[in-house]
Amino acid sequence: MLTGRVVLVTGGEVGIGRAIALGLEDAHATVAVVDGDFASRDETAAAFARARESVGPVDAVVHAFVDPAALTSEPLAETAAADWERRCEAVLRAALHCCQAGGREMAARGGRLVLVTPTIALTGAAGLVPYATAVEGMRALAKSAARQWGPRRITVNCVAPPVELMAPDHASGPAGLALTDRPLGDPDARVDVAPVVALLAADAGHLVTGATIPVDGGIVMAP
Amino acid sequence: MTGPLAGRTILVTGAGRGLGRGVALACAAADADVVVASPRENGAETVAAIEARGGSGAWTRCDATDPADVEAAVAAAVERNGALDVVIHNATSRRSSEPVQLEDVDDALWHEHASVSLDGTFYCAQAALPYLRARRGRLILMTSPAGIEGSAMLPGYATVKGAIRGFAKSLAREWAPFGVTVNAISPLAETPAMTSAYEKDPTLEERLARVVPMGHLGDPETEIAPAVVFLAGEGAGYITGQTLAVDGGRFMTL
Repeated sequence: MLTGRVVLVTGGEVGIGRAIALGLEDAHATVAVVDGDFASRDETAAAFARARESVGPVDAVVHAFVDPAALTSEPLAETAAADWERRCEAVLRAALHCCQAGGREMAARGGRLVLVTPTIALTGAAGLVPYATAVEGMRALAKSAARQWGPRRITVNCVAPPVELMAPDHASGPAGLALTDRPLGDPDARVDVAPVVALLAADAGHLVTGATIPVDGGIVMAP
Repeated sequence: MTGPLAGRTILVTGAGRGLGRGVALACAAADADVVVASPRENGAETVAAIEARGGSGAWTRCDATDPADVEAAVAAAVERNGALDVVIHNATSRRSSEPVQLEDVDDALWHEHASVSLDGTFYCAQAALPYLRARRGRLILMTSPAGIEGSAMLPGYATVKGAIRGFAKSLAREWAPFGVTVNAISPLAETPAMTSAYEKDPTLEERLARVVPMGHLGDPETEIAPAVVFLAGEGAGYITGQTLAVDGGRFMTL
């Protein structure tokens, strides 16, 4: 489905980023992993440029990076300002920087940008207020980019797995958010999430933009 | 004192002008004691308007991006009546209505948005919780149609306003056991910020009117604030985690 397509995956060394990178390779994409913490606009742009130099012009960007610290479960009232900054604002800034860098890479030829935003963006989550705030902000960022960049033939979408899948090791995911009974069973990042990302990166996805697609086995059914 | 908010103490940030001023006036008209938080002297003007109509309020100088200011504002509110029932975080960056290309959202502009809408929300929630908990109170935040459906013109503003919805939904779950509700209002208001956006883009008003079923932007005091008064009042204690669109039908809930 993605033969000849170049896809950059942020956070692709570990966890869901790695699973998506492998799943996109399963779909025959040429995948380059972009590493770093994306805290700096300039360094993010440079990292994307280096990846492009190694694999060629970019057709799609998947932002799957998440700082594991963001998944720390703690009541907001007990959250220190530095932790709020790291779990909320740093997450949003990384997404902003990766959107900016991805948009720049794909400005001339068009392309596909996919943000991985767990379903807690839609539902909210006690104990994870900072991260849920960030990921709901990422959805609004994606919709804004989708509106602004439509004329450049860049689509921007969100794929929403259960938050447990965002942990580097699922077992270390936020306490109290264990996988619950799902109408269709528990999703696997490589087998179930990556193909939805692949669809959005493929020809068939060209008119899907600004959307959030939950891939959660049927827990969140958006109105 | 028999209005729907009689006996309640309400803190409103960004109440020196625009929507916050309208909300403060409406809460005072509903017989709340309103603490007008504003970094500038226009807060005193809002209080003068409240008092001229026979209401009760006080200005406290407050920059919502400064945690010490927010704590002091909460303390000033508690000082007045021994309790704080409702916090309305309405303040927004003065650069909120500045159209921008996404690639041009630099660290300075991002900080403008994030410091008021994200940090300010965090500071208000943390400072107010002990008091809100004691009164089964309300935290009311301001999102925007841009935060719900994205905005090609205002991507940074849309991002932080969307984030506020995530905050409201999550904190609503966290604080529900305390009896404290957390909701967001999505207003489409005729405000100084909108007026300045019109000046920058003269076609905006007509374009906006076309996509608003009601055909006009809402008046802060008479068309937006009554929804805030409702959420702050007796009958709204079982409503939490919601985004209440008060936008003339701009966005119809899916």
